[in-house]
Amino acid sequence: MRNKPGKPAGGPQGSPWNRGLSRGRGPLDVYFLGLLLLACLCCAPRQAHAQEMLHVTQAEMMQAPAGYAGPLQSTIDPAALTGPWAAVELPHTFFGHWSPPAAAPGGRPALVTRWYRVRPGAYEMPSHTASLFVVRGQMVGNLAIYGDGRLLFRSRGSLAWNVFRHPAVFVPLSQAADMPPPKELLIRIDAVNGSTGALSTMWVGDGRAVYGHYAWRLWGEYEIPFMLSAAFLAVGLFSLGVWCFRRGEPIYLLFFGIALCTVLRRWHFYEGIDWLPLPDPWFIWLTMNALTWQTVLLHRFFEILHRRHHPWLGRTLLVLAVLCTLATIPAPLLLHGLVQFRQTIYGGLILANTVVIGLGWYDSWRARSHEGLVLAIGHAVALFMGTYDWVKFNSHLIDTESIALTPYVTGGLFALFGYVMFRRYVRALGHVEEVNASLEASLAAREAELAESYRLLRVVEQRETLNRERARLVQDMHDGLGSSLMTALRVVEHGRADEAAVAEVLRACIDDLKLTIDSMEPVQTDLLLLLATLRFRLGPRLEHAGITLRWEVNDVPALDWLEPRNALHILRILQEAFTNVIKHTRAREICVTTGLVDDGIQVTVADNGPGFVLADGLKQGGRGLGNQLRRAEAIGARLAIRSDDEGTRFSLWLPLRMQSAAAASGATPASAAATPA
Amino acid sequence: MQTATAASPIHLVLVEDDVYFQEALRLAVRDAADIRLTGVFNTRAAALDALDGPPADVLLVDLGLPDGSGIDVIRAAQSRWPGCAVMVSTTFGDEAHVLQSIEAGATGYLLKDSSAPRIADEIRSLHGGGSPISPLIARQVLLRFRGQERAGAEAPKAAADTAVATEGAARGAVLSERERQVLELITKGFSYEEIARLMDISRHTVRTFVRRIYAKLEVGSKAEAIYEARSQGLLSI
Repeated sequence: MRNKPGKPAGGPQGSPWNRGLSRGRGPLDVYFLGLLLLACLCCAPRQAHAQEMLHVTQAEMMQAPAGYAGPLQSTIDPAALTGPWAAVELPHTFFGHWSPPAAAPGGRPALVTRWYRVRPGAYEMPSHTASLFVVRGQMVGNLAIYGDGRLLFRSRGSLAWNVFRHPAVFVPLSQAADMPPPKELLIRIDAVNGSTGALSTMWVGDGRAVYGHYAWRLWGEYEIPFMLSAAFLAVGLFSLGVWCFRRGEPIYLLFFGIALCTVLRRWHFYEGIDWLPLPDPWFIWLTMNALTWQTVLLHRFFEILHRRHHPWLGRTLLVLAVLCTLATIPAPLLLHGLVQFRQTIYGGLILANTVVIGLGWYDSWRARSHEGLVLAIGHAVALFMGTYDWVKFNSHLIDTESIALTPYVTGGLFALFGYVMFRRYVRALGHVEEVNASLEASLAAREAELAESYRLLRVVEQRETLNRERARLVQDMHDGLGSSLMTALRVVEHGRADEAAVAEVLRACIDDLKLTIDSMEPVQTDLLLLLATLRFRLGPRLEHAGITLRWEVNDVPALDWLEPRNALHILRILQEAFTNVIKHTRAREICVTTGLVDDGIQVTVADNGPGFVLADGLKQGGRGLGNQLRRAEAIGARLAIRSDDEGTRFSLWLPLRMQSAAAASGATPASAAATPA
Repeated sequence: MQTATAASPIHLVLVEDDVYFQEALRLAVRDAADIRLTGVFNTRAAALDALDGPPADVLLVDLGLPDGSGIDVIRAAQSRWPGCAVMVSTTFGDEAHVLQSIEAGATGYLLKDSSAPRIADEIRSLHGGGSPISPLIARQVLLRFRGQERAGAEAPKAAADTAVATEGAARGAVLSERERQVLELITKGFSYEEIARLMDISRHTVRTFVRRIYAKLEVGSKAEAIYEARSQGLLSI
């Protein structure tokens, strides 16, 4: 027993470690450094309250003479424990020697009772607040604490539960004015016969100071790893959700499996559940096999990352895992065996993991899998930590009070797997963006192609329209204006230049031109408007010739094929008819009528001239009639001429609907009927 | 407009750079005792200067002048010679040019290949309040007032009786039902006499309708110009 001298406050908080954090390190580094810093903080003994506490590092120990001291009593007489007491250094490890369990009455395992006695002696504990903090008691059994013969504390849980490294006890020693701090502390440990256990050092003193010490340790050693586990499991569940929708990517399921195994595996480290709903043997079985299956899953995970397959190893691991799982199924009597042999099994698992991780590393390196390498390195570290704990636990070479590293492995694994999944996720998003971009690009390219082909089509169409228009105008000039001008030229050349005749020819030319221009005005579907235009143009000439025009048109349906090309045909046909009347008859009156006949519109130009014989007409002005017939044919129209003494009736029948072929090319043969009188 | 009599002949001013047409017009007018050609101008500038002088009764303008458009002359004449009837001389009477001129204020047009007696007749007719209108132009005028749609024709009878609801209505110029009827008959090719008979009105009334339509076109185009100017911020009224 010694009073720990006070030291100036100041732990590793001020270490130069944290200065490196801001220099462009990866988030993983920062994460690990932070973890390390936290671990240092937790490991560092809190010195601030050293004055108010006594660090108990020595005790006396005795083994109950009967082996087991019987059921726990609320009070004992310290004087009855006669010894022999042996002085021991804390932490103190007691080694058991394995022998087949001698079944105690009632089928319960045989227990051995050990007593530890601590006397604070010269150290004056503060009244009201005196407290005790036992850093750790680890045994296959239970622990109870007496103060001056009165029971102050008994450990909860089953025998097996205390095997695990739970934070040890914080016990108030005096809580009331009439409860002076005890002068002597007795710690009773009932452990399974033959098992190994240990008792750590203790702190006694002012409650606040002792509790502060206890709380730091609780937080650093248990709560942080617990939070990391919870986070790991949460991400694992997320991953499981992803897998549910993407069955083709088993890596997400593997991630969930590994997270689940990792958390289960370390469940016994976490404070919180003293009374598991699971019997002890099953709990041990569960935690042990969690590690087994984690190894199998890890191998598969590696294979997916580096894409190099070792079916034999996978199969071997699977077989071993199944065997191990089945072999360790707890039968009641096997419990003690499990407790003893599980360390051996862990040894085997360490070996298997070494193979899996080593091979994973090698394959990842050969396959240049960055993620595989990171994972292998991380797991190598984890393996080292696990092995360290395993060795420590089994050989007791290492201080019982030191912190187990395994719980922090969860954090490291969480970071590693999180990193791998994060990279895959980010890469997938990037891939989606790329795909979208390339889709957009190909869409734009296709659009451009379409636009180009439309442009070409338009160009072709425009050219065709121009060609058609040119052909139409050329034809028209040839038939009309051109031939009229030729006639005029011939008349003038042959010296028969009768001024009036030339003027007449030129006037006809101008009329022709006007009609050509009129035909280009959009009359849309209005036949009457077209006829009106014709009258407007020819009216003065008829007037000049002294012919009265009777305009007796009736409303007619719209002609949807009345485009400029067709309009000009109609204008020319009727113009020819009027010209014929002016030139070849002595008519005094022309009557223009319109009406509906046989699904078409009939335009009739009737005069009161003496009439003519059609054959003669054909002989004389054959070209005029020929032009009329040709034009009528082009628009699917019919002509009828009836001549008698009363006059001549010229009829133009126009279909209401033009056949598409005729509309396009004017190739439909027209039925032109010239009926001689 | 006063009716021309032998005592007060129609004063005609010609703005035209084509000497052959100048000659043709001189010949046409020489034979008409009631028309006196008081001025012939070759350019837009000369014509605009002439507008400062004593006003004529009829102004005959060619659109394609060597130094600019005859449209400017028509516009200027509208304000400076308000009592003068403006006529456009054109080769084909194509609607684009004629409509533009009517909107500028012209009330008639003359085809350049008309015979001499007809030229004199047209001038007399215009001076007397008549305005020729071709079927194609009548149709354009109808469209102009109706907008692109035929909504006006299908509007309720009551509304149609007073006026055709039109695009022009918004701008202040609306065709009356009778005016619209006249225009429609013109597009079917009927002459003024025939229209008068069909509508049971006098020929003079038909001419009045047409003259009014011309005026409305001009008003419409002016309102349009003002509307445009206002919307572009050129006018602060």
